[in-house]
Order: sequence, then C-alpha cells, then structure tokens
Amino acid sequence: MNLQVEDMRTKAVPAIASLMKQGTITLNNVKDWLRTMYEIRFFEDQVFELLGQNLIKGASHLYAGQEAVATGACAAIQMGDVIGSTHRGHGHCGAIGNKYAQDDQTRQAHWNRMMAELMGRQTGYCGGRGGSMHIADVKHGNLGSTGIVGGNIPNAVGAALAERYKQDNAVVVSFFGDGATNTGAFHESMNMASVLKVPLIVIIENNLYGMSVPFFGSPVEGAGCAANIEHIAQRSAAYGVPAKIIDGQDVVAVFLAVREAADYARKNQQMIMIEAKTYRWYGHSRSDPRVYRTKEEEKAWKERDPIAVLSKKLLEEQLCTQQELDAIRDRADATIKAATQFGLDSPWPDASELAKDVYVIETYPESLIADEKTASAQVMKATEAFETAVKTLTGQTKKEITEKAKEKIRTEFGMNVLLMKEAIIEAQAEEMRRDKNVIIEGEDVGIYGGAYGATKGLLQEFGAKRVIDTAISEAAIVGAAVGASLRGLRPIAELMYVDFITISMDQLMHNGAFNRYMFGGHAKVPMVIRTEGGVGRCIAAHHSKSLEPWLVNVPGLYVVMPSTPYDAKGLLKAAIRSDNPVVYIEHKATYGQAGAVPAQEYIIPLGVADVKRAGKDVTIVTYSRQTMFCLAAAKELAEKHGIEAEVIDLRTLKPMDIDTVAASVKKTGRLMTVAESFCMCGTGPEIVRRLIEYKFPDGYTGFDYLDTPPVNLAAADVPPPMSEPLENASIPTPDKIIAAVKAMM
Amino acid sequence: MPKEVRLPQLGQTMEEGTIVTALVKVGDTVKKGDVLFEIETDKATLEMESPAEGFVRKILIEVGQTVPVGTPVLILGRQDEEISQSYIDSLTGSETSTVSPSPVKKSSSSSAAIPASSSPAQQPASPPAPGAAALPEGTRVICLPQLGQTMEEGTIVTVLIQVGDEVKKGDVLFEIETDKATLEMESPAAGFVKAVLAEVGQTLPINTPILILADKEVEIAQACIDSIKSGGPATATPSPQAPVPTTAQPPTAAATTPIATGGRVFASPRAKMVAAQLGLDLARISASSGAVRITEADVRKAAQGGIAPAATMATVSAKYGLGQRIAINRLQRIVGEKMLLSKQTIPCFYLNIQVDMTELVKLRTRMNKSGDVKISFNDFIIKAVAMGLRHYPIMTGRLDGDHIQMAETIDIGLAISTDLGLVAPIVKNTGAKSLREIAVYCQGLIDRARTEKLSLDDLTGGCITVSNLGGFGIDSFIPIVVPGQTSILGVGRINDVCLPMDGNIMVRKVMNLNLSVDHKVANGADAAQFLDFVKKALEHTDNFTQ
Repeated sequence: MNLQVEDMRTKAVPAIASLMKQGTITLNNVKDWLRTMYEIRFFEDQVFELLGQNLIKGASHLYAGQEAVATGACAAIQMGDVIGSTHRGHGHCGAIGNKYAQDDQTRQAHWNRMMAELMGRQTGYCGGRGGSMHIADVKHGNLGSTGIVGGNIPNAVGAALAERYKQDNAVVVSFFGDGATNTGAFHESMNMASVLKVPLIVIIENNLYGMSVPFFGSPVEGAGCAANIEHIAQRSAAYGVPAKIIDGQDVVAVFLAVREAADYARKNQQMIMIEAKTYRWYGHSRSDPRVYRTKEEEKAWKERDPIAVLSKKLLEEQLCTQQELDAIRDRADATIKAATQFGLDSPWPDASELAKDVYVIETYPESLIADEKTASAQVMKATEAFETAVKTLTGQTKKEITEKAKEKIRTEFGMNVLLMKEAIIEAQAEEMRRDKNVIIEGEDVGIYGGAYGATKGLLQEFGAKRVIDTAISEAAIVGAAVGASLRGLRPIAELMYVDFITISMDQLMHNGAFNRYMFGGHAKVPMVIRTEGGVGRCIAAHHSKSLEPWLVNVPGLYVVMPSTPYDAKGLLKAAIRSDNPVVYIEHKATYGQAGAVPAQEYIIPLGVADVKRAGKDVTIVTYSRQTMFCLAAAKELAEKHGIEAEVIDLRTLKPMDIDTVAASVKKTGRLMTVAESFCMCGTGPEIVRRLIEYKFPDGYTGFDYLDTPPVNLAAADVPPPMSEPLENASIPTPDKIIAAVKAMM
Repeated sequence: MPKEVRLPQLGQTMEEGTIVTALVKVGDTVKKGDVLFEIETDKATLEMESPAEGFVRKILIEVGQTVPVGTPVLILGRQDEEISQSYIDSLTGSETSTVSPSPVKKSSSSSAAIPASSSPAQQPASPPAPGAAALPEGTRVICLPQLGQTMEEGTIVTVLIQVGDEVKKGDVLFEIETDKATLEMESPAAGFVKAVLAEVGQTLPINTPILILADKEVEIAQACIDSIKSGGPATATPSPQAPVPTTAQPPTAAATTPIATGGRVFASPRAKMVAAQLGLDLARISASSGAVRITEADVRKAAQGGIAPAATMATVSAKYGLGQRIAINRLQRIVGEKMLLSKQTIPCFYLNIQVDMTELVKLRTRMNKSGDVKISFNDFIIKAVAMGLRHYPIMTGRLDGDHIQMAETIDIGLAISTDLGLVAPIVKNTGAKSLREIAVYCQGLIDRARTEKLSLDDLTGGCITVSNLGGFGIDSFIPIVVPGQTSILGVGRINDVCLPMDGNIMVRKVMNLNLSVDHKVANGADAAQFLDFVKKALEHTDNFTQ
C-alpha cells in the first residue's frame, strides 16, 4: 500500500502571484474568494444576531472561522461536480451558490434565499421546510445537508457511484466534521467508497471539537476525548486511500489541495481524504458556553482568521490595496444586509401547503387500474388451474408434472407460471433492460444471486457495474442508494433481511424519505429497497420480524408487500419506475410459491388493493404471505361454516387503499385485519383507524357501518422465537383466522 | 281497596329478580314513584318503584328471595284497611297464572292499567273471593282501551254488536270518538257477547268495562254484571288490538317487546344507522341470545317481524326530544326530493269539495258487520276515484313531450305513514277491481309497507294518490302531487255538520276532499267535473252495492 498521510502544512504555500503567473488562478478569483469568505462571515454574524432577536428560530450551527475550507474547496472543483454538506453547512451552501452565480444579481438572490430559508420563509431555498440544518440548492449539485452527524457521508458515496456509473467525469466532495468520523456511517462509507472505486473527495473539517468533546484532548480540566489519534487523516490507512492534512485557515492551501485531489479522483476514479485543520469562532450552537476550550486557544486561532490570512497575503504581495479590501468587505456586508431585509420582508409558507412535496405525486390512468383488476382475476383463475393441474396430471417426476401443468396454463391462459423469486428476477431484468439508470447493489446480489436467489442471473446479463456486491454495511448500502438516486439513478438496494433495516434506518428515513420534503420539493429519491421479512424458517428474532409498521410510520416512503408472483412482478416494476422511495418487502416463506404471471409486459399500480376473494359476511384485510393464509381460511369458512369472507390484499401498505377496504366494510359490516407484524401501533390498528375515520359520500363514516368490533390478528408481542411450534404460535395461521372470524359472527 | 304490587320486568331479558333490600315496611305510606325494593336481576341491581300511592298493608316476599316477574310482592291499601287472608292466598297461590296474556307492558303501568276494584278478586284465574260476585271461568271483561297516547276518555258513537252475537278476535265492536278521531274498537278476543255495558253517546274513561264476553253456554248473573258495571270484579283484559283508525295509517299496536327500563342501549354503529334509517327504536329491539349488543341483523329481523310498533303520529312526535338531532333517513330524503321536484315543476291548482258521507257510513257499518273483509273508508274513496278516472281519462294524463299520454290502466297510489316514513304504493289496475278486492289489496299493501316488503313494482306508476289524514282529526289539507302523476286527493275527517236539507237543518256526516292538480295536464273544468263525480259516487251508495 505504502500510503502515507501527507501533511501539507509542512510545505510552503505558493505565493498568489506565482499561481497567477502559472495561470492556475486569477486575481479576480482570489478577490472573489475573499468576498465569499466575507459574505459567509457576515451571514453567520447576522444569523447569530437574529437568533438573539428571535427573528431566526431553531438550531443554527455557525461556520464562522472555517470559511476558507468551503470557499477554497468549492472554488477548486468544476461546474457539474457535486458537494455534500452537514448541519454546519451555511458555508458550503454559500460558497457553492456563489460559484454558480454569474452576476451580482444572481449572487444577491442566492444569499436572499439562504437567509429566507433560515428564517423559515416561503422564499427560502427549501420553502422553509429545511431551515439551517437542511439548507440546499440541489439543482447546483448540492446533495443537501443532514442533521444526523455522519449521515450525509453514505449519500456522497452513492452520488460518486452514480457519477462513476454515468461516466460524466464529475467528482463528489463530501464535507463533514471531526465528529462524524467516529460514526459507523463514516466507516461503512469510507470502506465502500474505497472498494467501489468512486470519485470522492472527503473533506474532514477538523475544528477540534464534536460539540463539547475534543477530538484529541484539551487543556481544559474535565474535557473528554473522542479519539486516540490526533490526525483523522491517519484513518485513511484503514481504507487504503491517500490522505492529506491541510491548513484549513488558508484558502489558497485549501484550493490547491482540493484541486489536486479532485484531479486525482477524476483521473483514477478513486477516493481521497483531506483533513483540514480549522476552528469555529462560535460554539457548537448559540447556547454553547464553550467551557471546553480555553480563551488562549480561541485567541490563537482567531489570529489565523481565514479572512485575515488572505487579506494579509494580498496586501503583502501588493496585489490589493487596503481600500480595495475594504470595498470587498463593504460589498459583502451590503449583500448580507439586503438578504436579511429580503428574508424579513418575505411571506411565511402557506400552512395549506404543509403536506406538499412529501411525495412526488404519481397517478395511474383509470383504465390501467381497471384493466389490472381484470388481469388479477384472470391470474387467480390461472393459478388455481395450475394448482389443480399439478394435482391431477400424471408423470414420471414431479418436475415433469409441473412442466406439463405450466404448459397447460400457457395454452389455456397465455400465462407463464413462475416462482416468486423468478417473478422478482424477471421484474428487475425487464426494468434494467428498459432503463439503464436501474442498478442493483447490496450484499450477495452478484455472483451468489441474492440470499434468496432473487437476483440470480442478473450479474451475468448486466455485469458488475450494474449488479454491485457490497460489504455488509447496511447504512452505506441504503445511504448510497439515496445518493445515487439523488444523482439520477434508479437503484435497487437489497437488504438481506428487513431486520437489518434497523442499521440503515437513519439513511432510509432522514435522507431517503425526507430529502424531498426537506429540500422544498427540489429533490427526488427514486430508489427501491428490496428486502424480506416474516417468520417461517426458524431463524429467530434477528431474522424473522415484520417491521412494516416502522416503515409506514415514515412520511415520504412507500411500502409494498406482495403476496403472489403476479403481484411481486408487477409491483416491483412499478416500484422501480416510481419517483418515490419504495421499501419492497418480500416474505421469506414465499420465494418458492408458484403462480401465474401474464406473458406480456405489465405493471401493477402502487396504492391499489386487490380483492382476492369476494364475500359478504366479513372483510379480511391483509397483505404479504398472510394473504395466502386468509384465502385458505376463507375457503374453509365458506365450505364448512357458510361464512363468506371477503379477502382484500392491500399489496401496498403505503399509500393505503382504504377506499377498497371501506367499500367492503360498508357491505359486510365486519372488519378483521391480519398481519404478521406486531400489533401495537401496527398496520392492523392503522387500517381500523382509517376505516373508522373514513368518510363516505353519503355522510356516514366507516365507524357507522361497523356491526361488530374490528378484530386485529397480528404477531404476538414477543421476539420471534426460533423453535417451530413457538414460531407458528407467534403469528396468525389459517386455524386462528377461522376461529376469529367465527367468533365475530 | 287493596291493591297488589307485582315484580315488574326491569330489563328485556329479566325473568326473575332477587330482593336485595326492602325499603318499606308495613304501615308505611308510599307515593307513586317511591322506591320499594332493590332488585337484583340478571344484569344489574335496580330500584323498583311503587306504581301507586297508598299504605303498605302487607309485604309478600322476603329479602333474599328470588321470584319470577309478575309475582305479587306487596299489597297497598288504605291506612287501616284489613287485608283478607283469602286475598293474600289468592295472590301467593296463583302468581304465575296471573300474568295477563296481553302484551307485556311497562312495569310501572301493569297494575295501574287494571281498573280500580273494590273486590280483592282481580285476577281472572284466581278463585272467586267469598262474598264477591264471581265471574265464571272463561269470562272476559272488555274495557275501553286507550286508543291514542293522549286519550283519556272516549265516546261511544256506534255499537255494532248486541247480546248473543258471536264475535271473532278483530271484529269491530264499537266506533269510538276520541279527542282525535272516530276510531273502530276491535275485539281483543273471540266469544259470545253476554252484556254490553256501554251505550251510544256515553263518554267513558279508558279502562271502563264496556262488554262482557264468554263461552256460548256461560250464564252470567245480572248481579255480577251490575257489579262489574259499577266497578266490581273485572277480568280487565286490556285490549291488545287497538282499533284501526279510519285511515290507511297502520294501527297503533301496544309494545310487543319489553322496553328497556332506562340505561344505555348497546348497539353496533351499523345497527344504530339501520335503525335510524328504518325509524325503529333500538330500545324496543333485543340483541340475539348471548350477545351483548344489538347488531344490524337484530334490527332487520325486528323490522321484518314487525316487532317494532308502528308509530302513530302521536308516538312519532314522542320519539324525538327537543334539541335532538336526527339523521334524515333514505326514505325521508327521497320524499323530500320528490316533493321539492313537484313544487318546482308542477304548477298546481287546488279544488275543494264537501261530501256527505252519512249514507256511506251506514253502508260501511252494514257491510263490515256481515262481510268477511273489512272495508275502510279509503277503500270506498279509492273505488270512487277509479270510477271518476274512467269517466275523465284526462285525469290520468301524463306529459310526454308535446303530447299528453293517458294511462293504460287506472292505478291509484295510497299514502301510508309507517315507521320508516311516508310511502305511497300503488293499487294496481284499480279500475278492474271490486270494492272488496280493493280492500284486500290495500290491506296487503299496508302490511307490506309496515314490514318494509314493498317491491319496486308496488311503488311504480300511478295516476293519482289518495292521502287521508282524517284519522288525525284533520278537516282539510292540500297535498302535493307526486311527480309523474296528475293529481292527488287529500281526504279529511268525517265530521258531524249541520246542513240545510229539504228546508230542514240536518246533522250530517261530512268529509272534505281537496284535489291538487297538475295544470300542465288538466284544466279546472276537467278536474272539477272529476271531483264532483267522485263526490257523487260516494254519496250515492248504490255505486258500491251493485
């Protein structure tokens, strides 16, 4: 490896004049850096003051003192490159906006929108949805900023993965602080970026303190310590990537280092790490008394104020007069003052638009929905015919009988019979052929073909660039999918078990589901997280849960749970095409389930339930594998007990098709929900709540039409046990469903 | 006079009760409504209130005892009244057979409904007390029933039976005029008339004995009859069947289901919705056995079985309280929409005429006495209208583009007020039906309407509707034409009116008819001749006897 951490601080930074002579930069460039740094500084000073006046509310983590890092880095990259920011992100947002501002008017408008966003106004970058911690102008290559420390790093990896895949020669700069380097997301991301060879420059702004805890000790008695190495750049060895340490107070040094790093990343399609030593003038936030650091330390750093450092260079090299510098300062001051006034004059967001931009609005033609209902009924018939054929046909082997039965269905219905996993593979393959932006990433999705065989053969057809095996890094897998989808891909990320989603919940919720809303509707995250859940293989509590109630509790997500091969294929295709983030959960006990699937291309609209059996006596609402249990129960109820149960397969839990449920309950007066997840605050109770609140056009509510108390069958409130009898006891089964329905009558 | 107090049914499912506490003792004075006992039932411990005022003369049960509903538990009387042992024995020895076969009534009124008696022998099956005029077994004393919620007394207008007549259950015995209307009183039982205790013109309080029925051979001593007449021992059989008002309104029926004695009625939201739509009172519907709440099925069963009492106007108004908010049911919404449509699209003119019904009243009395089918005034009116339409077909006309289409057959609607609301089913092909057939058909329609069994066909078509509010004491009113029909006839009550006749002033039975007519179809002259024809048809009773 022989990778050395290069400490650039030991080398002299070339004079500005010499760089000008080389043609590396112009004087105007440098003056503009100064102006940008002044603007960031005045912006932060202004925000501090406005916080005190309560004109800005909420959290604000100020960037003052670190201006050289954002300014130098953004100046060093090219138009079209991408940055990722953090909760201390005003500097990044300010600098990248200035980079794209071709004239003073645009520049003023940029600062106006920043200030308005911090004030929570309609005119802000995110329409007041994001504020200080999530300010972003996504259309200028800003991936946005996260409030969770370290949370932004996996997104940058994904973005870099996308840039690499698209081969458009762009690089991604990921800014984050020293505090982030002790999170799992950092480690997973650095490792993944290194392994996947993506053009990523990580810029660690080491301002020495993660909130109050010094990264590497402090002279203040009682102060703690976050790490046992002084230089974060040393961690680059763990990932086998080059790293540099630079003086974060010298914008020229930052510029030169990032320019070189960007060249390296672009040319080698490899990541590189830069640690910029810097310091924040203010505390972590406004309420921070800064007791963890000494006045002497603050004084020493302030003597190396990046604005002073650059001003001194310009004066000493006689490139500018003091008057010129003062003029730059005064102009920046005027810009921020005008921005402040703009913010104060701006309207508040309209509360009637509260829910705007949580989702990309997606509708399906009525005809598609109607045709799908017909198709679904045909498929049910074909599947039944197949099952009958398997029982009645004869042959030497089971395989021969199955093949004969499949042939019969092909002839009679024009449909293929696929296993669940085959349907899932087909859906992915078809969509990958249709859209080159569809890629797959995750654990064992490549040569292994997926833990449950649901990506088998895809590596062979589409290659390792599109079917990407990753390390066991669930946060990075999901976070990378978010980043890649922000940059235009339609990634399918596979999580081997839904239980593992717990590791990636921050990425899934805060970035995957929330980005669009937080960034004022300017971003979209068209990714699919494919995973599986449920009991049925005796693999106990870490591999058997049904966590969909967690997921439906997240605004911004779609949650899809198919029950048949037909549904699995059509829903997955629709999920891949959806511009919203979709969690698509298969059931581990259904991969071998066979069912008819139309030979021709089709999708199933998301958010439309399927009445899998009609009945008049009781409405059973279910999804996933429990649909099969409910259908079996309904059959027996009809044959042995004269009870006609209507079985509704929700298929999509979010958005939930409560219309279909309500129409059914209006008919039957009885509602039972059957789910394999835990009951408390679960999907069943949620269905009941929606039904009760449902308003019919006749003025009645779903409540009015209930003739018996609704019944929720769900998993017992126990960690899924391993032992088979216990496992079966922990979930609804056909016999329990039958007994519960009879008790309702 | 002593008066026994029996254990009332304090809840729908209560069959017996356990005495938890006795709150009175012998010698106490009690007012009506005072709590006498705490009774534990299958559901709860409830307070039993005194149904009457008096002094406690005897307590017939002990704390801890469990007794069936209807068991005498206490005797009230005057302050120092002696209670004979035989009376006590009669009560304690025959409690189960004393329960009246009449529909179960509210507990608080079960005793009060029995007329005051100076004799202890109040129960029909109890052995006659010594010294009292005994009634032979099987004798039934028929009392004047309460024919409406506000009725306190009634005047005998006509006596339709005489001593020796055999009557069947449901036969009309008297015509009785109340504060509201002249109504028919039907026999609650079959038997032979042994004595008629009331005379025409007499005004009597409700529950006054007015008739004695018994088996053919039974002889009843005059002393006994006199005794009953003067308030003696009476087998006070309250009439379970209220008379049919002289309109198409369904008859008032006493509650045939026990009424919940206060407390919350548990019913599913759907049951509540359906009950509201059908206009049924949930308090009168029971949950099926073992169930804790009333469901839709219970409501529908009740509606089909006609368990719920058909509401007369009086009970309709009592169903609702001031300030209450009630849902508009489907039927009422349809009525509203149709009536609005009528008012918006049908330019009406209105005609009024008086009909002398004196002869028809007599004819009807005669016919009903002898015939096997009871014919109501409405049946006569419908027949007369059918005859009128045959003569004036324009009155069956319906606007059809730039034509007026006369009806193929004469179909006449009959407005019926039911629990569910207002319906106006059609008497199909009335023109081809005899009076008797009309009567049978109408009764079927009324039954179907009351039990929510009207078919769509029943409700389709018609050239005219007959709406009769005479039973509610209305003299005259202007009805609204049903869209699709030509006119509507509003029928008022039959009232005694002084009329100049042949130079004399005569008291005649006069009825008002109001005809609302769609002017787009018919003009005043057509309608006037038609209405006059109907009047004459009703006045010339030969029309109905040929």
